[in-house]
This record gives sequence, C-alpha cells and structure tokens, in this order.
Amino acid sequence: MNNSTPILIFFTSIVIVLAVLMAVRAELTRGRGGKILAFVTLAILPSLTVWTGVHEQLERSTSTKFCLSCHVMHDFGQSLSLDDKAYIPAVHYQNNFVPRDHACFTCHTDYTMFGDYRAKWRGLHHVWVEYFGKIPQPADIKLYTPYNNRECLHCHAGARKYEEASSHHKNPDMLAQAASNKLSCLTADCHDSVHDVANLKDNTFWKGPN
Amino acid sequence: MAGNSIERRIRWSGLIIALGLIIQTGTLFWTHPLSFMAFLLIGCPLVAAGLLLYLYSLVSHQHPSGAESEAPR
Repeated sequence: MNNSTPILIFFTSIVIVLAVLMAVRAELTRGRGGKILAFVTLAILPSLTVWTGVHEQLERSTSTKFCLSCHVMHDFGQSLSLDDKAYIPAVHYQNNFVPRDHACFTCHTDYTMFGDYRAKWRGLHHVWVEYFGKIPQPADIKLYTPYNNRECLHCHAGARKYEEASSHHKNPDMLAQAASNKLSCLTADCHDSVHDVANLKDNTFWKGPN
Repeated sequence: MAGNSIERRIRWSGLIIALGLIIQTGTLFWTHPLSFMAFLLIGCPLVAAGLLLYLYSLVSHQHPSGAESEAPR
C-alpha cells in the first residue's frame, strides 16, 4: 500500500455512497439538479475512479512484492540476497543500483515504446499458468528472448564507470558491439552470473539493511 | 411509465457501479496478481456495465408525450 492508496480508498468510498444514493433515490433525477448529480455520480466519478484505480494497480504490478508473490518466483527473490559480488541481480539489488521496491520490473521490462504493456501482457500469461497451467520448476524458467543489452544500457550507457572500465576495452570496439547488441553483456566470462536458482543452496545470503 | 423505466435503469446502474467500486476498493488492500485480476476482470467490467446502462437509460428515454427522442442514425 503506497501513500496514495488511502486517498484513493477515501475517494472511491464517497463515489460508492453517491452511487448507492442514486440507486435508492432514483426519483431525485426528476429534477434538473438531480439529473446533473446522476450524471456526475454515475458517469464522471466512476470513470475517474476506475482511471486512478488502473494507474494504481499498474504501479503495484511493477513492485518486487507483486512479482515474488507467486510461489515459483521465491528462489529468484532469494537470489537477490546472494552474498556474492559476481551475481549481477544481487549486486544491483543490494547496492540500490535498482530501486528495491521495483527490482524485478526495472531489469525485466523492455525499454521500448510498448515495453511496459508487453511486460504486463506476459504477466497476465504468468498468472494464468500459475493457477491453471503446469508450473515449471524455477530452474527451468527461461527468458522469452535473449536478454537485450538495451535494458542494461538504459542505466549504464554514458556512465563513467561503464565507459572507462578496463574490462570493457579488451577489444577496441567492445562498447560499440555492446551498444548494437552484437556482444551480450551476459556473455560467458563477462556478466554471466545471473539468477542461478539451481545452485542457491550452497551459498550464503545477505541479511539485509539494518 | 417512461419515468419509471428510466429510474429503474438508474437504480440498477447505481447498484452495479457501487458493486464494481466495492470490488475495486477491496483489491486495493492486497498487492497480489489475483487482486489485479479481480480488479481487471470483475471490478472494471461491472463499473463499465453500470455506466453503459446509465447512458443507455438516457438515450432510450421517451418524452412524456410518447414521441421517441431523436437518436443518431
């Protein structure tokens, strides 16, 4: 529940009361004032309420808590707390390189015009599988498409640490290749330690901020 | 009669919208994919149905003289 939720609940409650008033006292609409009240109560206010509700629900659906609420995602959530600096998701999560409240979404949305909506559509499919489909083992869950460098470069492009890292200049055109997605950031011997959920048991975990 | 008809539709409209909004309010207390689905698949359609019923009650309203209100062709 974020800061705007109590306001939205209060606003929605008022609209509910007005809608019920219209339902039990429909004869109010015989007068001019009643007609205006009915239009505001039954057309404008519900539309506004649903619009703000959609915004609120979409915002919530990007939260880490939301993503990890499905049981199959538990191990992926745990991998964010791995005490190993080689693990890219863990390093990003523990050092606030991504907002912790939106950790999954920040890296797994497409930074394109309709990327957010594509992510939501995939999310609906995931919910369907969670309740009506055959749930795969966490280790068997793969990305739909190979991870695109665009998602990394959304934050890292232009950053001094990224541009000047010696490991990014092993080849003269390494940065250019990464920018054009010809060389994956997650390629072997680079940043290939991502959610290795099949081998979590033998690791130690960060306890979290004090 | 026409007045009763429009008022009956407005009553139903108010009830359906209130029900949809109650479901919407309920989903705000729980951050979970099922809550999101309940909002999207139950709350929103109910509010939309109530709103459409209300708008239909307006366009289908007959004047007391019995002449039908002019509808777009």
